[in-house]
Amino acid sequence: MKKIIMILIAVLMLVSRPPRAHASDCDVDRGPCVAVTGRTEVTLDISPKPVKAMKELFFVVTVRGANVRGPLLLELSMPGMYMGRNEVALKRSPEGSFSGRGVIPRCPTGGKLWQADLTIPGTGRLTYRFHVDR
Amino acid sequence: MSIAESIYLLMFSSGLLGGIGHCAGMCGPVVAAYTLGFRLPADDIRASSLPQLLYNAGRVTTYSVVGGIMGMTGSFAGVVTYIERFQNMTMAVVGGIMIVLGIASAGLISWRVHDAGSRVTAPVSGFISRVIQFVSQTHTPGSVYVIGMATGFIPCGLLYTAYIAAAGAGATAGHPAEGFLKGMAMLFLFGIGTTPALFFIGHMAARKGEWIRKRLYMLSSLMMTAIGVIFIYRAFRG
Repeated sequence: MKKIIMILIAVLMLVSRPPRAHASDCDVDRGPCVAVTGRTEVTLDISPKPVKAMKELFFVVTVRGANVRGPLLLELSMPGMYMGRNEVALKRSPEGSFSGRGVIPRCPTGGKLWQADLTIPGTGRLTYRFHVDR
Repeated sequence: MSIAESIYLLMFSSGLLGGIGHCAGMCGPVVAAYTLGFRLPADDIRASSLPQLLYNAGRVTTYSVVGGIMGMTGSFAGVVTYIERFQNMTMAVVGGIMIVLGIASAGLISWRVHDAGSRVTAPVSGFISRVIQFVSQTHTPGSVYVIGMATGFIPCGLLYTAYIAAAGAGATAGHPAEGFLKGMAMLFLFGIGTTPALFFIGHMAARKGEWIRKRLYMLSSLMMTAIGVIFIYRAFRG
């Protein structure tokens, strides 16, 4: 009986635990996340802060060192857990940055780490990882 | 293919992929629990398939209606604020039912009202037995459909993403009614996409249920109870 209970606990821990922990790239609550590809520096900022799940968020991307044409696409996902396709269309603002609105859903498993994949036409794809408040 | 058509196809494929990669792990225990609890006939495919279809129809109904509301308002955050508390309550109730079914299937309390009182104190067992009887022995098609509708409210990250897409589509619609129809159609297709995986789990649980009960009844009962506890914990953690 003890063996069965131990197996049961192990199975449950495996099934119910949050997705495997990955290191976050930046603390998005403190400031923008920065990624560099070649000579291009791309920052991603999310507001309002602290960044919370299930709230409407404002995403701003600033590209330095490259001439970007066309809209940017930001894909939000949770590492280790399929959460469907969650895309934020970023449009160019008069200041030259790209912005758009989106929502990060809450995962009932308790996972807080999220990933934003930014596709920049002609430059490539950049990945940001950050923690989100539940 | 137009952009509108591709959105609907994307929702269906998202449900189909998510059904395998997400729902099977997250909602599979609920499906397995109600299937085991209902003791669906394993040898009669038609008799065991009908409750599965009705359960999924109930779930898809909830998704479609909430998706319609998301599309009509064009705001995910606005609508979810109102339904979140109800979702957590549903999760707690489903968790409670799983605990009761788990304890009952382990034989720790009686399945039948007239046997109540044999193992635990009479007033408590009487109440619990009535709950068990209601949950496990109400086999009408309507009750399975209602259970499906209720479980459609269980909080789910994949489902939230689908609602976000519906709200986004509704925000660009010309009229609230158009937004409602768009959101409803999107979530309907998403729900249909998730059905094969959950139907398969339910069907397997029905087929293997007797085998599991005979050989590993204590283990499966404990697992059902433990998953119920996890559901309640998640519901109150928020």
